[in-house]
Amino acid sequence: MLRYQENNQLHRDFHGTTNTTLDYIADNYGVDALKSILQDTGEKVYKSIHDKLAAGDASELLEHLNWFYFREGAKYQLTVEPDEIKLEVFECPAIRHLKKMGLPVSKHACLQTSEVNAGMCKNTQWESSVEVIGEGHCIQTFRKKEC
Amino acid sequence: MIPSDHFVRFYNEVFKFLDRNDGLEKYYLEISRHQEHHCLDLFSRKGIAGMREYWNVIAREENIISKSKKKGIVTNTKMISSDSHICPSLTKNLDNDAGVCEKYCLHCPGWVIPIFTKTGFYCVYDLINLLEPTCSMNVFAIREEAEEFKQQRIAGGADPALIYDNLDKADEIEANKIRLAPLRAQEAAKAEN
Amino acid sequence: MIPSDHFVRFYNEVFKFLDARNGLEDYYLEISRHQEHHCLKHFMEKGLQGMEEYWGQIRVEENCIMSSEVVGDVRYSHMKKCPSLSKVLDNDAEPCEKYCLHCPGWVAPLMTKCGFYYIKYLRALDVPECGSVFSDNLEKISAIRQNLKRDGFKYIFDNFDQREEVEVNKQERLKV
Repeated sequence: MLRYQENNQLHRDFHGTTNTTLDYIADNYGVDALKSILQDTGEKVYKSIHDKLAAGDASELLEHLNWFYFREGAKYQLTVEPDEIKLEVFECPAIRHLKKMGLPVSKHACLQTSEVNAGMCKNTQWESSVEVIGEGHCIQTFRKKEC
Repeated sequence: MIPSDHFVRFYNEVFKFLDRNDGLEKYYLEISRHQEHHCLDLFSRKGIAGMREYWNVIAREENIISKSKKKGIVTNTKMISSDSHICPSLTKNLDNDAGVCEKYCLHCPGWVIPIFTKTGFYCVYDLINLLEPTCSMNVFAIREEAEEFKQQRIAGGADPALIYDNLDKADEIEANKIRLAPLRAQEAAKAEN
Repeated sequence: MIPSDHFVRFYNEVFKFLDARNGLEDYYLEISRHQEHHCLKHFMEKGLQGMEEYWGQIRVEENCIMSSEVVGDVRYSHMKKCPSLSKVLDNDAEPCEKYCLHCPGWVAPLMTKCGFYYIKYLRALDVPECGSVFSDNLEKISAIRQNLKRDGFKYIFDNFDQREEVEVNKQERLKV
C-alpha cells in the first residue's frame, strides 16, 4: 500500500517549481549537491518504498510507479519480471507540462528520476538505471543485484 | 419577580443546589453561552479594547467600588486588574441571611474563561480568597506573558488552588485567534478610515 | 519524474539543504521570479481580484481549506489547513523547521513588484494554518499589522520596508 495516499486534485504547476529548483541548486551548489538532495528524497521521503526494497518487497515501488504515471496522464508501459522492473515512459508528464507552460526544460530534468530512483534503491539488493531515449521518453529499470 | 438587585442572592441558592448535585461546571458553561450574547461579538471584533468597553459598563452598572486609586493595567495586549476593587456580588452574599455558597466566586472564571478561549485570549484569574470580595482577572493576547504572570503571582504568595486559567487550551486559543484575525483586521482598517 | 503530488516533500529536502548553507533567502527570490510567470501580469492587470482568481485556482488544485474575501481595497485570506505543510508533516523525512517561511519568501517580493503591501501571519511554524492580508493602502494595512501584533502573533512577515518600491510599482500598475 502507498505510504502517501494522493487521490484528490492535482497541481501540475509544481513541475515548474521543481524545474526551477533543479537549475537553481545545480547552478549555485553544483550537480553533486543536486544529486545528493534527490537521493535523500528517494531514500528518506520514500522511506517506506526504500525499506520494503531492502526487505526484498517491491510491491510499493510498483504501486508508486503505476499510480503516479497513470495519475499524471502519462503514456507508459510497465513490465515486471521477478528480478527486474521496467517502466517505459513515452511522454513524461513533467516535461509535457513545462512545455505547456512555455518554460525551458532544465538540462537536469531527468536527474529527478534517476537520482530519486537511486535513493530508493540505496543499500538494498536493487539497483536502478535510466536510459533516456529522447525528450520525455525514457526507460527506467530496477534490477535485483546478482549475489 | 426576583428584583435584579437580589439576583445574586438567588444565584447563590442556585449554586448551593447545583454543588450538591455536582452540576456547577455544566451550569457555568450555560451561563457562559448566555454571556456570549453580550461579549462574544465585541471581544471577537475588538479584542482587549472590547473587553475594556464591556467591563467599564459593568463597573458602573454593578457599582464596583475601588478601594484605592490604584488602577489596573490595560494595554493593547493585556488587561490586568489591580485587585483594588470590591466585588458587589460577593459582598451582597456575605450580607445574606441564607449564608454564602463557599464556591460562589467560582462562577466568575467559570463563565468568563470559556469566552476568552473562544475569542483567542489567555486568562489568569486569581480568586485570592473565596470569602473576600476582591479578585484579579487578567487577560493576555500573548501566551508567554500569561504564563509569566501566573508564575509571578504564585511566587508572590498567591494560592495556586485559587488560580483559574485557560493555559491548557493554548491550541484552541491560537486557532481562534487566527480564525478571528481577518475580522479584527477589518475592524482595525475601519477604525483607520 | 517527481510526481506533482510529492513536490512539497522534495521542496522540504531542498530547504533543509539550503538552510544548512544559509541559502534560503536567495532561493526564495528565485522561486519568486519563477512565480512571476504565473502571477505578475495577472496581478498587475487585475489587482486584488486577480489574486482572488489565482489563489482560487490554487485552492482547488492544491486541495486547500481556505477562505478569502476582498473588502474595499484590502484582501484577507485565511488558510485553515495548508496542504503543503500538512504533507511535509506527514513525511517519513524530517520536516524543515523553516518550511513555512518560503511562502512570504516568494510572495512578498512579488507583491512589491505589483505595488501591494503584504502581511503574512502564522500561528506557529509547525501548524498548517496562517493568514495573509494584501492592500495598496499603507495606512489601512499598517493599522491591520498593528492589530496583529496586539493579538500576539509571533510570526508576522511583510514588505513594508520596500515602501518606496511598492509606491512606484503601484503607480505603474494603476497605469496598466
